[in-house]
Amino acid sequence: MSIDIKMAWRNIWRNPRRTIITISAIAFACLLLVFMLSFQFGSYETMINSSIKIHAGHLQIQAKEYQEKQNIRMVVPNPEETGRILDNVLYVESYTYRAKAFSLVSSKNRTYGVMVIGIDPSREKMVSTIKNSIRQGSYLSMEDKNQAIVGRLLAKNLGVLPGDELTIMGQGRDGSIAATVVSVKGIYASGIDEFDRSSIQIPLTVFQDVYTMDNAVHEVVVIGDSLRNISKIKKNVQGQLKKLKENEFLTVLDWEELMPGLRQGIEMDLTMGIVFYLLLIIVVAFSILNTFLMAIFERTKEFGVLMAIGTTPGRITKLLLIESISLTMVGIIAGIFIGSLLTLFFQYHGIDLSGSSELLAQYGISGMIYPKLSLLSALSGPFAVFFITVLAALYPALKIRKLQPVEAMLHV
Amino acid sequence: MNIVECTEINKTYQQGKVEVQALRGISLNIKKGGFIALAGPSGSGKTTLLNIIGGLDHADSGTVNVDGQSFDKMNQSQLANLRLHSIGFVFQSYNLIPVLSAAENVEFVMLLQGIPAAERQGRARTILDDVGLKDKYDRRPAELSGGQQQRVAVARAIVSNPSIVLADEPTANLDSKTGQGLLEMMKKMNVEKKVTFVFSTHDQMVMDYARRLVLIHDGLIDNDLVKKN
Amino acid sequence: MHIHLAWRNIWRNPRRTTVILTAVVIGIWSMVFLGALMRGMMTGMIDNGISTLTGDIQVHHKGYRNDPVIENSMTNPSMLKKILNDTLPNGSQWTARIRVNAVANNARHYSGVTMVGINPAQEAKISFIGPERIQGKYLDSMDHHGIVIGRELLEKFETRIGKKLVLMSQDTNQEIASRAFKIIGIFTAEMKATEKQFVFVTMSAAEKMLKLKNTISEISIIIPENHNNSKIASDIREVLPPKDYEVHTWQELLHILTAYLEMFDQFMYIWFVVVFIAMGFGIVNTTLMAVYERMREFGLLKALGMKPWWIVRSVIYESFLLLIMGMAIGNLLAFACIHALSKNGIDLSYLAEGADYFGISRIIFPDIFFQDVLVANLVVIVLGIIVSIYPAVRAARFTPVEALAHI
Repeated sequence: MSIDIKMAWRNIWRNPRRTIITISAIAFACLLLVFMLSFQFGSYETMINSSIKIHAGHLQIQAKEYQEKQNIRMVVPNPEETGRILDNVLYVESYTYRAKAFSLVSSKNRTYGVMVIGIDPSREKMVSTIKNSIRQGSYLSMEDKNQAIVGRLLAKNLGVLPGDELTIMGQGRDGSIAATVVSVKGIYASGIDEFDRSSIQIPLTVFQDVYTMDNAVHEVVVIGDSLRNISKIKKNVQGQLKKLKENEFLTVLDWEELMPGLRQGIEMDLTMGIVFYLLLIIVVAFSILNTFLMAIFERTKEFGVLMAIGTTPGRITKLLLIESISLTMVGIIAGIFIGSLLTLFFQYHGIDLSGSSELLAQYGISGMIYPKLSLLSALSGPFAVFFITVLAALYPALKIRKLQPVEAMLHV
Repeated sequence: MNIVECTEINKTYQQGKVEVQALRGISLNIKKGGFIALAGPSGSGKTTLLNIIGGLDHADSGTVNVDGQSFDKMNQSQLANLRLHSIGFVFQSYNLIPVLSAAENVEFVMLLQGIPAAERQGRARTILDDVGLKDKYDRRPAELSGGQQQRVAVARAIVSNPSIVLADEPTANLDSKTGQGLLEMMKKMNVEKKVTFVFSTHDQMVMDYARRLVLIHDGLIDNDLVKKN
Repeated sequence: MHIHLAWRNIWRNPRRTTVILTAVVIGIWSMVFLGALMRGMMTGMIDNGISTLTGDIQVHHKGYRNDPVIENSMTNPSMLKKILNDTLPNGSQWTARIRVNAVANNARHYSGVTMVGINPAQEAKISFIGPERIQGKYLDSMDHHGIVIGRELLEKFETRIGKKLVLMSQDTNQEIASRAFKIIGIFTAEMKATEKQFVFVTMSAAEKMLKLKNTISEISIIIPENHNNSKIASDIREVLPPKDYEVHTWQELLHILTAYLEMFDQFMYIWFVVVFIAMGFGIVNTTLMAVYERMREFGLLKALGMKPWWIVRSVIYESFLLLIMGMAIGNLLAFACIHALSKNGIDLSYLAEGADYFGISRIIFPDIFFQDVLVANLVVIVLGIIVSIYPAVRAARFTPVEALAHI
């Protein structure tokens, strides 16, 4: 071990009480940040995943402007052709076709305007989690003709149970009246109230028939193997689509574009979090600045001697910085360690927030939140603490440069 | 050959609201191999002179040459470098680095000089043996007596073979017996290793040991005696 | 005398005092200022919720909230009018509405909306809708064909003022009733969702379309500021026959918002404590340093016959003074920042969709809650004094011998 580090380490422990308090302050800030960031990232991931898995998917291929206007005439005319492209794209796990139309849905006594979604049951179950969230009755199958599954809250509003009949009335792609009668086969509770209040799903073939869609759909919904690879898939698909002239009115949207509110909501939440964390770190920095200052001013005489025997001021600054940095590192490592343990405990057991479950259901979070420890969540907070603490340590360490040996040695 | 050449040194201090003229045009030359005491009552200016010779303090006017190098145009780190290689210091209150052991204190100077670790250790032990601190290598300052600490300080001052060792009241905190032992040891170093020692003192014993005695009074040299052996 | 002495002791080391004072000031500032911002956000959400057709209190026919259809309407408005006029305190405002789910369509587009039949003049006093937020014309109570819609809906439907819009809904005979309206005005609202959801027609137009007579679905009441709405709600509840009517306060109507409020309360107090802990380490350390430096002094005082309790007290006085100073400056700074922001607020438009997602207003105005400021300051002063007991007791324990041996 170099003598510099040895000296720094011994100097740190010259006043163990002060050192321990200082290390605790740093560790406290780090452990809090590790936990809180993991908590936030964990809930974002739940929010993103539930929206992706329920309706949005990672990517969608749509006609240009369909996203804004939701116009039934803006279609993907040859979905199978797009499917063949997707079959050959790396990282694509599965995909499905959907067609959507806003229509009036009536039960015996009630009428609501809702989104009628045509789905391909065999493909859909590989893309969305609706199949697993059927609460009553059962999911659609390939053989189903005039059957529908209905969101839980909509079923409640319409007053229907599996087996009951619903009349659907809307406008077809060609402007004609689209009307049919379906029977309720199942009721789903996706976890996102808004979705469960405003949607019913029917087989795609039925939809295409009723709404005179021919073979066209509105969305080709793609699921990739992980969030990380989405941009690669997107680029690849865009490139493939461009090869054919007839595809030039198609566009590829990723989940952030499909759900801009979700992305900005996360950004806003994170921004607010960062403001709070930064202020916390600054308070901690000022809390421990005195330790650094004291560690230096009570040793002024010692520095005088060091200078007298030929140590340059730069070298003393370096010694002091090694000292403050080692002290900070001990606190940071302790904080990351304890913070990670705490996070892992809750990552395994979950945090029960069922008291506010109705609140969280809006964002697709069920009663439990699972923090998610990652390299980013474990290191970014402590890194900020390290940076700001070292900044605080720099001030006294640089003041040493102005020290005059004779004055320093006279210092008591 | 002169190791130190001071000419017409003036130094005034601001002490609170009072101006104190510590040195009033002192000139002094010191030859290699000397064992010299600057003596005088407190406030006479002897410590100030020592600090100026050591490059710790600046003279208001006059010139200082150590080892043929003039202090005039040196900056802080050049001065530090000169102190590191050419000047050793021994202080009244020992002033060892409290977190380092005896051997490490001695090694520290060599570390600053960039001497490799193995050589550092060997030389530190040899010199500690020379000053009579065999078996005390790993003691921290707090575990050593005052006399032992001052021996470590002397070892630290001479380990890098400086041209001159400046010792400011080295015996003042020691009892007379310990002080005498220390002086004997320094004398031995002076004779055997040809180390030049300059003391500032008002201890009669130090003056007795010195071969040249410079008496300073009110910032001026009162008397400059070279004893004959 | 004690305070005077404590004051001088604090400034024996001005640099150290300044540093720890800065920590306390930033801590307090962040508590009060961020607290006010969060409160402002909450108040914005509540105001917005109340003005978006909620009001302080609502009266419905029994069952309407679970099943908001035309069958669940109140059929004797004149009786209700009399009761409300008798029960409500002076200065209250109320209005009646017909409110049903409907489908809006023009030649190109379909969308689900909430059709609200209003009394235009009275409605403007109660909710966000009114002549000043309208582009085009506001409704006139005699207008049987005019409709006011939100900007978002207008854009989605690719239409404009003067164009036709057809509404369809279930009438009292459970038949689909439809009626064509002419767009006469466009409203803007805090939330895009509101602009998409609501369309306004006159009460009489809604009656005609749904074949109603003397029927209303909702009464919305605004009470003067210093009244407690849950008390008034229970007053109304008492006079209305309970089997036919239900009365709700906004806290019950906007229960998700109420849940938010509770969560924010907890979050804020946790935040206060966390910030305190961060500065608490500094307070303990700094006080310890100050005490150890004066070990000789304390030993001497004890040798002179000073009681340990007196030493404890004098150290605590010093912390107290330090905390009070930090609090004064921190609060002052926070109030200055709040004041500076009170005119223009913090604009979140660049994250407008995110704000919409959380139901937050696009501009946040800080809002000072006396209780929050009080709690923040109490946390700091009470916990601050508690943590300085440790160094104070250390100081009192120095024995004269130990202290005089200390260099």
